[in-house]
Amino acid sequence: MSDQSPSQITEFIQGEKEPESSSVVLVLGLVSALSFLVLYGILYPGREMPVVSELLPMFEGVFDSGIWFFLLGAMLGVFAIIGTMLTEATSE
Amino acid sequence: MNAIIPTLAIFWFLMIASFILMKRGLSIFNDVAKGMVMFMLEKALGPAIDFVQGKPGSASRTWIMHGMIWTMIASILTFEGLWLSHDPTALHSLSAWGYTPNSQELIYAGRFAAVFGAAAMMIIGAGLHIIPALSGTNLASESNATLVSGLWTLSVLILVIGAHSKEILGIDLMVIGTALQVLALLAIIMNQLLTISNATRPIAVPGWLIIFGLIGNPLAVASVILSGAYDTGVGQWLVYHMIGGTFLFCGIAGTSLYASSMGSGNPLWSRTLVGFTLFGALIAINPLGSTDPTMAADMLGLEVSEISSSTQDHISGSFLMALAAIPIIAYSSNLLVTLRGKDAFVENADSPGIAEINTGALMLIPIAIGALFVQTDALGGVGELSGLSETLDLLGIWTVLIPLSLGTALYVLPQVSGRKVLSVNRSRAAYWLMSGGAIAGLTFTIMADLNDMALAEALAENPSSITEELRILGSVTFYGTVLGSIFHCTNVISGQFRGEKLSEEVETSTTLSPQTYELTSSTSVRRILASGATLDTEVNPVPQSEEAGTATEL
Repeated sequence: MSDQSPSQITEFIQGEKEPESSSVVLVLGLVSALSFLVLYGILYPGREMPVVSELLPMFEGVFDSGIWFFLLGAMLGVFAIIGTMLTEATSE
Repeated sequence: MNAIIPTLAIFWFLMIASFILMKRGLSIFNDVAKGMVMFMLEKALGPAIDFVQGKPGSASRTWIMHGMIWTMIASILTFEGLWLSHDPTALHSLSAWGYTPNSQELIYAGRFAAVFGAAAMMIIGAGLHIIPALSGTNLASESNATLVSGLWTLSVLILVIGAHSKEILGIDLMVIGTALQVLALLAIIMNQLLTISNATRPIAVPGWLIIFGLIGNPLAVASVILSGAYDTGVGQWLVYHMIGGTFLFCGIAGTSLYASSMGSGNPLWSRTLVGFTLFGALIAINPLGSTDPTMAADMLGLEVSEISSSTQDHISGSFLMALAAIPIIAYSSNLLVTLRGKDAFVENADSPGIAEINTGALMLIPIAIGALFVQTDALGGVGELSGLSETLDLLGIWTVLIPLSLGTALYVLPQVSGRKVLSVNRSRAAYWLMSGGAIAGLTFTIMADLNDMALAEALAENPSSITEELRILGSVTFYGTVLGSIFHCTNVISGQFRGEKLSEEVETSTTLSPQTYELTSSTSVRRILASGATLDTEVNPVPQSEEAGTATEL
């Protein structure tokens, strides 16, 4: 470590690659959505969320047990496997 | 009526007769029989055989891939079954679709998926690679073996549906599923026998373990039918354990011993112990599995009978189960020592699957000892430990059977497909999730079972809250197994397309990893590794003289 020359160190920490634009947009979108949710809670305390509060009652009586959180994860996994099969088989 | 000794006597006789026939052949009928079997395996199937590819290794790959998918399905069904044991109405909302499963049905379906879908498919798949490799020849019919994997999967699907509802429109689904499975198994047996008939060298003992495992399944059923014990509780219990001891135990022993040696790069430790494993597995009664023979009775289309053993059956059954400790210990110790070799690193990152085999071998002996007590208790009609039976059976499936078959499959798959899994790190994470989830989750569940048994013995009226909490903890922890199986599936599927090629690795290894590194002066490990050396590179110190140099004499 100590025997590395200063020129090597400067080359090492240049950072030549950048994250993909899609990843940046996704992260920014996620952070913006969370920020607006917090802002909505501050500006309109106690009020139900628009759209979301109308959708959630549809699932009452369906996802009425904690097992559904786990099963949703398993379903995601199953779809991930199917997606992997399709994308791997069709990609060049 | 005594059932155990007469049934086993017929079984031993059939096994010996099969071995003699395999070694000596059918005399003048050899060529006719071979030609006819080959015709039945390929031409007789007509255009169906053209739907599958007959490339070397394709059959093994297809069976293993099916087995991986069944592992995931089995883990989800078992997880749901464990959850419903403490929350019976958790899936109540599915009744709108006409599906109202209970805990027992889901665990029963999970057992079919795990035993016949996951473990059996991976064992057969690995065997389709190992037997030709040990025989020094190709598989007799790759096309047929690939085709019947679909038939076997269909049979398991029918059995899983039948575990929920045995009869649909008056049709016994279990019997149909079993019939399809027997058809597929007979095709595989014929294929493997034809392969060993073309062997160019003597087959090593692990190969015989696989062959006897395959033929042990139909011969066990034939024995119990010939002895007339099939409609007794003891007969049904016996055939369940005979199939477990031959088809599953011998199959898994043969394939995993091969994979442990080839995957770790160490020679097999003891040939004598492999012989003991084979001989003991055929002579003794394997105690692993449930005390309830419903699975065997359902598959054979029989009414389940209560186990009421005679004194002779109790004594002989208990003795033969205790005798099973010999092949179990011989197999486990042989596997563990082979994996370690000369102090090898068991969690070898370059060989996914070795860690799974190691876990299965470690868990085998304690679970077999536990199963021995539970089975002896059940055979004697005491039933004091019957509360543990189901969870102990699950523990055997998820910490012995699945890890050993999965570990073997993870070694064999790159050999037959030519590509490694996509990510070794994901494979390792999946291993920890699967093994940790199964061991911890089912241990919590067995603790809840013990608590229930203690309360029942004390005639307590109210159930303990600790029991429910332990069952919740057990089912949630078992979810790690679901995640691990999903990770394994995606990793293996992606690896088939983008995984590192085995041939590439061999070509580059000569330039990237030098066999020796000459150490002339003190240096850091980092520098040695940076020069391209690997953990297997031999470091040779080169002596240097401190004397002053002089002119070179010409």
